[in-house]
Amino acid sequence: MSGHDFHPLVKQLLDGDITLADLPAELRAEGEDALRLLAAVDRTDVSVPAVTWRVMAALERRRRPVLPWLLAPALALAAALILWILPAKPATPAALVTVRFVLVAPEAREVSLAGTFNQWDAHATPLVRTGPTGVWTATLTLPAGQHQYAFVVDGVRWVPDPGAPAVDDGFGRRNSVLTL
Amino acid sequence: MRPDAKVADGEIVRAVLAGDRERYAQLVERYRDRYARYAARMLGSADAAEDAVQDAFVRAYDQLAQCKEPDKFVGWFFLILRNRCFAERRRDRTSTSLKAAEGVAAEDRTDGGAETAERRRALQLALLELTPDQREVFVLKHVEELSYGEIAERLSTSVASLKMRMHRAYDKLREQLRDHT
Repeated sequence: MSGHDFHPLVKQLLDGDITLADLPAELRAEGEDALRLLAAVDRTDVSVPAVTWRVMAALERRRRPVLPWLLAPALALAAALILWILPAKPATPAALVTVRFVLVAPEAREVSLAGTFNQWDAHATPLVRTGPTGVWTATLTLPAGQHQYAFVVDGVRWVPDPGAPAVDDGFGRRNSVLTL
Repeated sequence: MRPDAKVADGEIVRAVLAGDRERYAQLVERYRDRYARYAARMLGSADAAEDAVQDAFVRAYDQLAQCKEPDKFVGWFFLILRNRCFAERRRDRTSTSLKAAEGVAAEDRTDGGAETAERRRALQLALLELTPDQREVFVLKHVEELSYGEIAERLSTSVASLKMRMHRAYDKLREQLRDHT
């Protein structure tokens, strides 16, 4: 026990097992100090109203694979989605496939893609903001096969695609998986 | 009272599993803000909390058939969110920052003035210095206001173990906050 540890009775006070009046006089000041700590606890709700439609959009996209000509309504709902646009030829191991990545991030100042296709370089593949609603897009031509990726928002936040399957990279991070 | 307040979670879960997928939105509406609060305190960022809650709800939907007790959906969902938060903290521990703590505390500056906001911000920063296990028990007891017994049931652990974690957390917080109390 260091000099900064609370007395065991004060810990009982913090746990709500006893009251300040139950403490011996010599521990009252420490008890009051401890209660000031708890008084700073912030129990304010964090309002996340967009989560409902973002979740439901992700489920909708998963239920019904999006075809290119059905994209407009899907874009209005999706938090993030990937579009398979123009398969250059039937998907063989050597085939190239053009893919559009889309992320809705109204508050972002910049968004980029990092993945196995660019050696996880968070600056190599920026997305372009396409309108006032915060839709960011990038179109890439990638070899057929499996790719892992994440969006990088404002250079610091690594955001997996909530609508895509994900795997653990072995270091505690979830990477989205794209199979072409 | 919400219009769906009388509908039990289990009834909604069973309806979703039977194919009425749209009703899943009721569960999201019901729990998103409350668990965003938990995630925000665990992650130190309201933005990260929003992403975590969204991911957890999508993952919970994918695994809904594995929810053995639909009437206890929220406890089962909580474990999914908890795993997501722990993974996020492992990945993102280097980004803990003053800015992140401000992001959590900034929304409620109106109810206590600058001093309260500063104390809250200091506590949020100090919480981020705890181990995830310590931070979690503090958040569940003092933010979510669950009893030790409820936390023990939720995390499948013992009250004695929780108290040990919590008491270490108290000492670390006191050390971190000695200039603020």
